[in-house]
Amino acid sequence: MKVLLTSSYVPFIKGGGTAIVEWLEHKLVEHGHEVETIFLPFVESMDNMFNQMLSYRLLDMTENADRMIAFRPPAYLLRHPHKILWFIHHFRAFYDLWDSGYCGIPKTAENHAFRRRLMDADTVGLEESKHIFTNSRIVSDRLMEFNQIDSEVLYPPVLDPERFYCESYEPTVVYICRMEEHKRQHLLLEAMRYTKSNAKLILAGKSHSASYPRKLKLNAMKHRLTNKVEIMDRWISEDEKSQLLARCSLAAYLPFEEDSYGYPSLEAQHSRKAVLTTTDSGGVLELVRDEQNGLITEPDPQALAEAIDRAVQTPGFAKQMGEEGPHRIAELGIQWDHTINRLMAA
Amino acid sequence: MKILVVNNMVPFIRGGAEKLATNLVRHLGRYGHDAELLRIPFRWDPANRMLDEMLACRMMQIYNVDRVIGLKFPAYLIPHPHKTLWVVHQFRQAYDLWESGHSYLSHDGEGQHLRHSVTEADNECFADSQSISVISRVVKERMQRFNRVPSEVLYPPLDDPEKFDCEAHENYIFCGGRINNMKRQHLLIEAMKHCRSDIKLHVAGPPDSPEDGKELERLVKQAGLQDRVILEFGFLDRERVIQLVNRSLACACVPFDEDYGYVTLEAFYAGKAVITTRDAGGVLEFVTEGETGTITDATPEALGEAMTRFAEDRPATISMGAAARDEIHDRNINWPSTVKKLVA
Repeated sequence: MKVLLTSSYVPFIKGGGTAIVEWLEHKLVEHGHEVETIFLPFVESMDNMFNQMLSYRLLDMTENADRMIAFRPPAYLLRHPHKILWFIHHFRAFYDLWDSGYCGIPKTAENHAFRRRLMDADTVGLEESKHIFTNSRIVSDRLMEFNQIDSEVLYPPVLDPERFYCESYEPTVVYICRMEEHKRQHLLLEAMRYTKSNAKLILAGKSHSASYPRKLKLNAMKHRLTNKVEIMDRWISEDEKSQLLARCSLAAYLPFEEDSYGYPSLEAQHSRKAVLTTTDSGGVLELVRDEQNGLITEPDPQALAEAIDRAVQTPGFAKQMGEEGPHRIAELGIQWDHTINRLMAA
Repeated sequence: MKILVVNNMVPFIRGGAEKLATNLVRHLGRYGHDAELLRIPFRWDPANRMLDEMLACRMMQIYNVDRVIGLKFPAYLIPHPHKTLWVVHQFRQAYDLWESGHSYLSHDGEGQHLRHSVTEADNECFADSQSISVISRVVKERMQRFNRVPSEVLYPPLDDPEKFDCEAHENYIFCGGRINNMKRQHLLIEAMKHCRSDIKLHVAGPPDSPEDGKELERLVKQAGLQDRVILEFGFLDRERVIQLVNRSLACACVPFDEDYGYVTLEAFYAGKAVITTRDAGGVLEFVTEGETGTITDATPEALGEAMTRFAEDRPATISMGAAARDEIHDRNINWPSTVKKLVA
């Protein structure tokens, strides 16, 4: 079958939003399909968002492909008679974040109208779809709450999970992820001030800006943590990542209100490592069960420190939780054959 | 520097322009830039769809990019404060093809309107661009004539010129590349009927449609040329193409009004003289009559005559091939200088 994958992106920025598309392409080709992937640019700016959305709407994808699978907004505005969505998030500032205090948009009458028009446009694109999958329960709930649209959760697997392995449980916590404010590496760094065990922390990942890693490094120096904390603010190769995960005791993932469990958590579980996360991490909580396949604490440095100490000091605890990882993945049906069957059957 | 190369695309179809775009991205990367390719789907059929597609390109926003290099209409309409054009071709349906009556745009009110919209969008885009290069003189002349915009010819380099080398002069004339009616391999087969030497013709490449291949097979059979014409259909390995060029006596390239011709460059790098026709377009920017090849009328008789001459006077053919090789090296068509010019 000829399948068109469409999504929006910002040039030169790679992340979970581009990976889900590229990995699916790879897997569909393995399953014998012909695939063409189109990423179109989009900037979430109120000055010209509607113009940009209109540009998506004007492009007709009807010919050439038997079906189109659309991902990141506003790709669902592209036209195709057999449109399937694998919806990964809304324009959140106008949806769940609108009333949250994390949205900087002034609540003027004009902006309220802007928000309503945006939702109307979204609803049109969403309703045209033959079937809507989401990447998490949270996103499905939001679709129901804001757009009154039903959807099916289809958890995204990682590409080639077999490259992750487990070698040992050294007293190390790793956090391998883009280094950004909302991923909250700073919280974990702060936690290292309170740990009493011999636990070490490795923060690894590339940052979009130079200032956040610099701030982390300054804090590490200020609190004399440089012998306990290593900061690798650069692109981490896949091999390096699997090696780091293979030897740690805990893999942290503590984003604020994330839409899905996030690939870092899934990679940890494939490496038989428990996930350390917080009660406000959003979709991560769909994967992690406290004390079963990870630890969930308040988003507070001292609570995190206690959890780290427990994991490295209690004999066998990290291993026991880590080994639960693959079972949990199977339980949620996170595997490619299932994903492809569902996407191609809809 | 972050450079976004912008091109059109039709899903599931790849051609010369797509190859040029990916090569450009790779070579920008090789010379120290961050480069990515943005492909915007474009269908242009029915004609009035074009307005939507032009508007779509004009309303897109690009962020986090230092420079844009635009290759084709309408993708190059995408706004950016620092835009360089390397035009592969304009939307010919609105220009030369319209003028010559070959366009699908009508000559009535609607056709006129669409044609003007394309010209206006082009003119605005050209005025907003920091520099304009084109891939051949044909494209330059069209832009000068229709838009009154000067441009610089920057010939697209081959990706692997170093692999082409004269290894032998076996007794065949080679014609490589896609097979279709516009590339006119059929002319060469018919020319073989008029060729008074025992030289062979080797045609190799993917037919655009099964009919294109069948037609050539039929012609060969009809003329009883099975012993003298070799047809090798399909996507050939690069190594196989290189071998066929490198061991030929000469090459033939007889398309109708082509914008550019990689096949000619390959022949020249391999030190082979080229047989072409007066109406071949871009090929004529390389071949000089009697010096690096021959330029004939587009008839089987004239081409047959040329093939006979090439086969019978081998020393002359071989020395024209050597001159072709010198010529292409003198022209300095290579990626380092191309990248430098585009990024200047």
